[in-house]
Amino acid sequence: MPKLIIDDIPVEVAPGTSVLEAARSVGITIPHFCYHPALAIAAACRLCAVKLLDGPVKGIQMSCALPAQDGMVVSTTDPEALKMRSLVIEWLMLNHPHDCPVCDEGGECLLQDFTIAGGHSHRRYQGKKRTFQNQYLGEGIQHEMNRCIECYRCARFYQDYAGGTDFGVMGSAGRVYFGRFQEGPLESPFSGNLVDICPTGVFTDKTGRFRARYWDYQFAPSICQHCSVGCNTSPQNFQRETIKIVGRRNDQVNGWFICDRARFDKGYLNDPQRPREPRLDGATCGDDVAVDAAAKSIAEFVRKNGADSLALVGSPRLSLEGMVLLAQLARAAGGARLCYFGDPAQQQGSVAAARLLREENSAYVRDIEQAQWIALHALDLIEEAPMLALSVRKAFLAGAQIFLVDGDPIPARNTPPFKYTAVESLDQVPFEKGGKGVIICGAGKKDPDLLAQIASCGAKLVMLQPGANGFAAGLLAQEHAASPLADLVAARQVRGVVCFEADVPEGLLSGLEVLASADWRRGPVEAKSPIFIPTTTWVESDGTAINYEGRAQRFQRSRLAGLPLKGLDPKYYGNATEAVTLHPPRVHREEVPGGAERDAWQVMAQLIARLGGEPVVEPLEGKWSALRSLDPEGEGIRIFEIVAGE
Amino acid sequence: MIPETLKTSLKARVASALTPREAAVDVMKELQAHYGWLTDEAVEEAAALLGLSPLQVEELATFYEMIYRRPVGKKVIHVCDSISCWCADCDKIIQHLKDKLGVGLGGTTADGMFTLIPCCCMGMCGDSPAMSVGGVPYGKLTPELVDEILEMERNNR
Ligand code: SF4
Ligand code: SF4
Ligand code: FES
Ligand code: FES
Repeated sequence: MPKLIIDDIPVEVAPGTSVLEAARSVGITIPHFCYHPALAIAAACRLCAVKLLDGPVKGIQMSCALPAQDGMVVSTTDPEALKMRSLVIEWLMLNHPHDCPVCDEGGECLLQDFTIAGGHSHRRYQGKKRTFQNQYLGEGIQHEMNRCIECYRCARFYQDYAGGTDFGVMGSAGRVYFGRFQEGPLESPFSGNLVDICPTGVFTDKTGRFRARYWDYQFAPSICQHCSVGCNTSPQNFQRETIKIVGRRNDQVNGWFICDRARFDKGYLNDPQRPREPRLDGATCGDDVAVDAAAKSIAEFVRKNGADSLALVGSPRLSLEGMVLLAQLARAAGGARLCYFGDPAQQQGSVAAARLLREENSAYVRDIEQAQWIALHALDLIEEAPMLALSVRKAFLAGAQIFLVDGDPIPARNTPPFKYTAVESLDQVPFEKGGKGVIICGAGKKDPDLLAQIASCGAKLVMLQPGANGFAAGLLAQEHAASPLADLVAARQVRGVVCFEADVPEGLLSGLEVLASADWRRGPVEAKSPIFIPTTTWVESDGTAINYEGRAQRFQRSRLAGLPLKGLDPKYYGNATEAVTLHPPRVHREEVPGGAERDAWQVMAQLIARLGGEPVVEPLEGKWSALRSLDPEGEGIRIFEIVAGE
Repeated sequence: MIPETLKTSLKARVASALTPREAAVDVMKELQAHYGWLTDEAVEEAAALLGLSPLQVEELATFYEMIYRRPVGKKVIHVCDSISCWCADCDKIIQHLKDKLGVGLGGTTADGMFTLIPCCCMGMCGDSPAMSVGGVPYGKLTPELVDEILEMERNNR
């Protein structure tokens, strides 16, 4: 372990650590652009100069490309190093348009920070600046090449890390240009990361430009809810609207990056059509009125028909908190039936995966990245778990063999960033006992016997869940012997349902009485429900989700519930009795417009109280209480011990 | 569209390379010789032959100054403007070329004979200032010598 001294601080680091990283480990940030922990070293920008005063190397060196060695004495503040950095940043800025006021990166721009930190504050260059034509790169990303400082991060990420082939670097010398052969939408499903990885404003998120600055955002650590990988994100919100979603580092899950679905697919959060108000028999009502009515309706139904002809229906969209309370609510309702899934095939697969996975066989991301062979079992990876494709690619680049077992042909738009061999069955995958192999399959809709057979191979396993919180739904469905709704309906065992964030297809609903429902989106259930209570989405709620590998992660409320200010219906600031709004309007209100939603588990807690059940103080009780202290900014924890230690 | 014979020979060239990228420059040069410059169509054809994306071919094509992504004259003049030639007053030579040919840098003469392009050090520093015309190198240039060379090259098509 090399020992060195940086600015008079003794540092000991693992072999291979660069001086830049060693300095960072003791809290010293050396200005840098091309260095990025996820990418190979390019030493392209020349900004990270330090001076070595003593030891095996001497003089000015690029700290990102210099491995720490025993006996080095490094100064990051030596006048010569300072001078070098200020000159480098000055020439990197020669052609920069100085257009921060109209640049969406401003305020969260590494170039701003390191220009100042690098000591360049006065422009001396009087010549002409080189300028570029920008390209149309699709609806996700805005291109502004004039802001480029040629750090090559984008090209290295796009081609080397993510395996894209339609974006890169062209030209040479002062003319290098980062873009496509011809204008057109970027093809990589990871293209949005250019926004995060470019240290300047060359790539900005077109879907959220010019709405707010960094310091305006309300934002918090969150977990993507688009698939069961559970990538870590930070939704950036302004005036109750999710403006942008950016990646957040978690080395156990997604590294530094997220897929484009996570970043750009956010319209539904801001949708003005989202149901925002509690409703009783078609009319808007107070929250208490709706909850009272729902409790009354449940009690009456149970008295008339017996508790076991009532089903409380949840889904993998619920947080763990909601799923746990759903079971308590069923008890409070006198022993109503519980559903976490509608579709029996989905439940079977999800439960089987939750049962088969253990600490020893559930693959960590690093197991995928370091595997010698990987079998994708009947799987379109880009569809079901996009970010894992990047982990598989790492293994592939390191020499692993990748197989697609018994898979349908993968559609061209989902071509993964690695080569694979298609084989018919697992027997054709040449794995030796003791070798490092990983099998990746989707659990939803898979036959439990097949999953058990896959699990008996001795390889590490990835079983992707149907839905972001499918693992939790599988665990709870198993724990409470819950039945899929379709089965209960087919067996004519239930006649009435109360639904919480559950998507029940119309076919199933037709023979059922919907007593009440709670959701953050519209659908057939909400349409049919005489009592409706709006809930919050994951951006507006605190909760826990368990990803495919059994890792519990906490997401935090990142904005207030309520209608986005942008496009707010005039009825919220108008006057109900005057045709023309008087100015200034004087309609007093205590709540945020459209802000009556609460987390689904809170609705359940209210119902439990109304039904005379044990009052809920904390949704995570019993064995789950271990998750109460889960740090939203930590790596999450795998739940196998918690589940086993019941 | 390139003729089948050319296609076959290029395929063989690619097949004999350790990695396709290694054959990229050869393929681009052949296609350029065929079309006169590396057309957009040629970039896509090269990509198909090499198993790369058009962008990846473009990355290489735009890096090398002797691959022409725009139409050029019959003979391309590469005049060096790097450090040694600059010390030997290449600016004067370049100005002379511009005046003589009636074009700016990057321009092609009206008769389609010459295209004038500045270039990096050609390894002829000892004979600076230097240039090449249609691939033939010339050193120790003076305005008079440039006139002679142009005259000769023009007649010697
Ligand atoms: S890239 Fe950064 S420095 Fe450049 S204009 Fe945008 S905010 Fe300003
Ligand atoms: S576009 Fe951004 S990431 Fe790419 S080289 Fe330029 S500054 Fe770096
Ligand atoms: S960060 Fe070291 S050279 Fe760019
Ligand atoms: S500098 Fe012109 S040939 Fe070397």
